[in-house]
Amino acid sequence: MDTTREALAELLLAMADDEFVLGFWDSEWTGIAPMLEEDVAMSSVSQDEIGHAKAWYELLAGLTDDDADEIAFGREPAGYRHAALMNHARTDWAFTVARRFLYEHADATRLESLARSSYTPIAELAAKMRREETYHLLHFDLWLRRLADAGGEARDRLAAALERIWPDAQAVFAPLDGEARLVSAGILPDDLETLRHRWLDRVVPILEGLRLPVPPEAERAAPPAGDGRTRRNDDFAWLHGEFTMVARSDEGATW
Amino acid sequence: MIHGGNVNAPDEELAVHYAREFYGRRQESHRLWVVPRDAIVELDDPDLLNPPFDRSFKRPGGYLIKHKLEAARARAGTDAESADASEGTGK
Repeated sequence: MDTTREALAELLLAMADDEFVLGFWDSEWTGIAPMLEEDVAMSSVSQDEIGHAKAWYELLAGLTDDDADEIAFGREPAGYRHAALMNHARTDWAFTVARRFLYEHADATRLESLARSSYTPIAELAAKMRREETYHLLHFDLWLRRLADAGGEARDRLAAALERIWPDAQAVFAPLDGEARLVSAGILPDDLETLRHRWLDRVVPILEGLRLPVPPEAERAAPPAGDGRTRRNDDFAWLHGEFTMVARSDEGATW
Repeated sequence: MIHGGNVNAPDEELAVHYAREFYGRRQESHRLWVVPRDAIVELDDPDLLNPPFDRSFKRPGGYLIKHKLEAARARAGTDAESADASEGTGK
């Protein structure tokens, strides 16, 4: 059995599911974002993420001789491998901004490393995605700053959201079973714990600069729990029902 | 440069983000210029833009230059093969 291949599939599934589930959650802002322009922007950014998920799923499907749609829509909730950060419902705008800020920087950190992957298809996709993610970073950095500077309820809600999701955000860098194999093959140029620290070095100064909550040093030093990509909640069970509804309505249909 | 459209935004920074979403997300733009409404200088005087006399001769559309081109080529002794491509209004 080709275990490096299995490890590679595990990595691709984790990244695809992150983008896929987050894309679905945030697409819920279509029609109800804070203003019309932001409605269009948020919908567009969510579409970008679904597009990135599609690219990862297709790479995975080619590797495992599977079907990308089947991987995306054909699994039970327990089969998904997104980080716990993506379990939560959309909640309010502050929560969405807090989550996106932490995730976009995590994704940027991950893609920066993967652009140097020894596995060319990953390196090429990562390089392309980075170009699109530049705008995502700008957009959610901007919103984080605005809500923080606004003070009052906006700031309070943002701070509460950050406090709530820090532990689950760390799960983006939860260890993968085949990680050591990927690192030694150069497929994953840096191990996930290195990437997690790199991510913390990006987000903590920004948050501190805005006097927003960051976890204590001791908590940041501890690696994320091993179940970061397997623990699930009721929010996700509901979303899974939503996003598989159409696919389940006519299985095997050509769209 | 053509007018892409309008966006509503509280300031320049978000205006650029939204302009990108509204007028650039479908790869229809190479560059965007975003200016606040109050920076736009308007010229709307009909006497300056639509003078009362017939000025249609200032438009290139009315001229048929095919025969003039043929005559010119004949004088110059140029091959007429590419004449069809030059036929038309000079737009």
